[in-house]
Amino acid sequence: MPASPTSRDLRLDFFRGLALIFIFIDHIPENILSYFTLEAFGFFDAAEVFIFISGFTAALVYGRRLVEKGVIYATAQVLRRAWQLYVAHVFLFVIFIAEVSYTVTTFNNPMYNEEMRVADFLDEPHVAVIQALLLQFQPTFLDILPLYILMLVIFPVVLIGMQRHPLLVLLPSAALYIVVQIFGIVVPAYPEGHVWYFNPLAWQFLFVSAALLGHARIRGQTRLPFARVLYPAAAVIFAAAFLIKLSWTIHGVWDAFPGLLLKQLWPINKNNLSPLRLVPFYALVVLVALRVPREAQFLQSTAARPFVLCGQQSLEIFCLGIILSVLAHFILTEYGGGVWMQLAANAAGITVMFLTAAMLAWYKMVDRMPPLRTVAAPGRPSDGIAK
Amino acid sequence: MTRGALLSAAVLVALVVGSPAVHAEHECEVPPEMMQVSAKLPHLAARLRAHEPVNIVAIGGASTTGTAAGSPDLAYPHRLQVALTKLFPDVPITVVNKGVPRQSTRQMVGRFATDVIPEDPILVIWETGISDAVRGIEVDDFTSALQAGIDEVKNRSIDIVLVDMQFSRSTATVIDFERYLTAVHGVADLDGVYVFPRYEIMRYWSEQNMFNFDEVAADERARLAARVYDCIGRKLAQAIKLAVQ
Repeated sequence: MPASPTSRDLRLDFFRGLALIFIFIDHIPENILSYFTLEAFGFFDAAEVFIFISGFTAALVYGRRLVEKGVIYATAQVLRRAWQLYVAHVFLFVIFIAEVSYTVTTFNNPMYNEEMRVADFLDEPHVAVIQALLLQFQPTFLDILPLYILMLVIFPVVLIGMQRHPLLVLLPSAALYIVVQIFGIVVPAYPEGHVWYFNPLAWQFLFVSAALLGHARIRGQTRLPFARVLYPAAAVIFAAAFLIKLSWTIHGVWDAFPGLLLKQLWPINKNNLSPLRLVPFYALVVLVALRVPREAQFLQSTAARPFVLCGQQSLEIFCLGIILSVLAHFILTEYGGGVWMQLAANAAGITVMFLTAAMLAWYKMVDRMPPLRTVAAPGRPSDGIAK
Repeated sequence: MTRGALLSAAVLVALVVGSPAVHAEHECEVPPEMMQVSAKLPHLAARLRAHEPVNIVAIGGASTTGTAAGSPDLAYPHRLQVALTKLFPDVPITVVNKGVPRQSTRQMVGRFATDVIPEDPILVIWETGISDAVRGIEVDDFTSALQAGIDEVKNRSIDIVLVDMQFSRSTATVIDFERYLTAVHGVADLDGVYVFPRYEIMRYWSEQNMFNFDEVAADERARLAARVYDCIGRKLAQAIKLAVQ
């Protein structure tokens, strides 16, 4: 298929699929494979990739609908997607509750009794459940979907603003990000003392700036401006961050190896999306945009296919990955976590994700097929995250 | 059966049944890589060399208090005192227990001025991180609190050893310790402070089935907890010995 601004950009699917696999791997504590994900050699991790691509595709999909069918139609579509994410979040929350209440009621280790307060919320389920429904209760691993939901809820405003003028959106978003960096503002959560792990006031900038890039694409700007300056700058920034983080990772395993600039830079704040994460991440975006063409052969290859499929079913595969990582962790703690067991757990989890993605793609294809009497080629798959 | 085999069987029985000390010593074993200590404790080392009395304060949470074992004498700080006294018989050594359950790292730092410094210790053992992980305190906040505590102790020419979290098979899947473990070991690495890898060691023991609370009757649990605390005390004493050599 010739690359036109309207044909599906498989890079988005592929890299989002890869990010989902990385999120699964990184969510298994002390997983040997996590030495080979973005986390090991970038100041950032798969979360940035996920939010960036989500913002970018949201602008592509809903931006087109806004142009074609108007504000109300596009807004309704965005809100439907937010609702799907919300339902998925509640589904994950139910699984979490099941796991914690089971663990706590069968718990018999006196060495932990006094400190095992994770289940305090079970004493006040009427509050906890409502807080979860309000996205204010974000137990471990249930923290990125609330951010994504919130981003989509405000997205219609972003969309309309971008349509008027990109700066109308970029300036407030960047200003808010900078204010958060300077004053360290956090968003409180439940129970008392908790905060939103992904501070939406900071992370919105990644989502919105990605949406602006997506918006530029549908406006017909498919080439990166200032590529001649941007490319070497991005290469230098990415390479520097890569070497520094790699030295930290090696230092973590082998003490004698020096961690470069460790004293000056560590720890790098994730809650508020420190510029030390954001800038090298955007450097990577520039490198990929310039070095991996849309029509790159490997994107069509059999090897890339499972990742592309995962990226195309991102919500389901994300939730599945979370459940599988908790399950894998449980099995590894319960039955020993040697290297081979770890590799087996990773392989099993990734296989289940691939197969599920293939199955979901099949369902979608069947759903789209015209009635049997009018046999025709299936229509063009819709773009991005929207069904 | 030959006489030799009978004899060795008898010795084996005697070893297993007869001598609880040998029994316990064997049970506390960990792989050598978990007992590597590169940091030094210069102030403590000087005291020990001079044969002057040594005062140690153990500050921490519920696993420092040791209520699970049933008596303060069975908590890890007292077991540490017993083990250290065996290793350095000619120096009077006291370990003061300043455990208060369910405090965050920040709250413990607030107790340094009243609970730790007035005891005039030469070494502070700081067991922390569990409450922070359970409560989900912001990792950056946790990190800066740790740093503040370490600085406060070090600036007074007192040595410090950190003790990281407890491991428990059933809690491992519902509490996310990894971020906090990384922070503790990261801060310690920057400051050249030794962290006793309690989490790793207890996980090893758990994998070796040395302690498994799932298959133990309710009235046996305190005894099991006491055994784990005793092993922690012994291993910590060994690590401290390595750090003063």
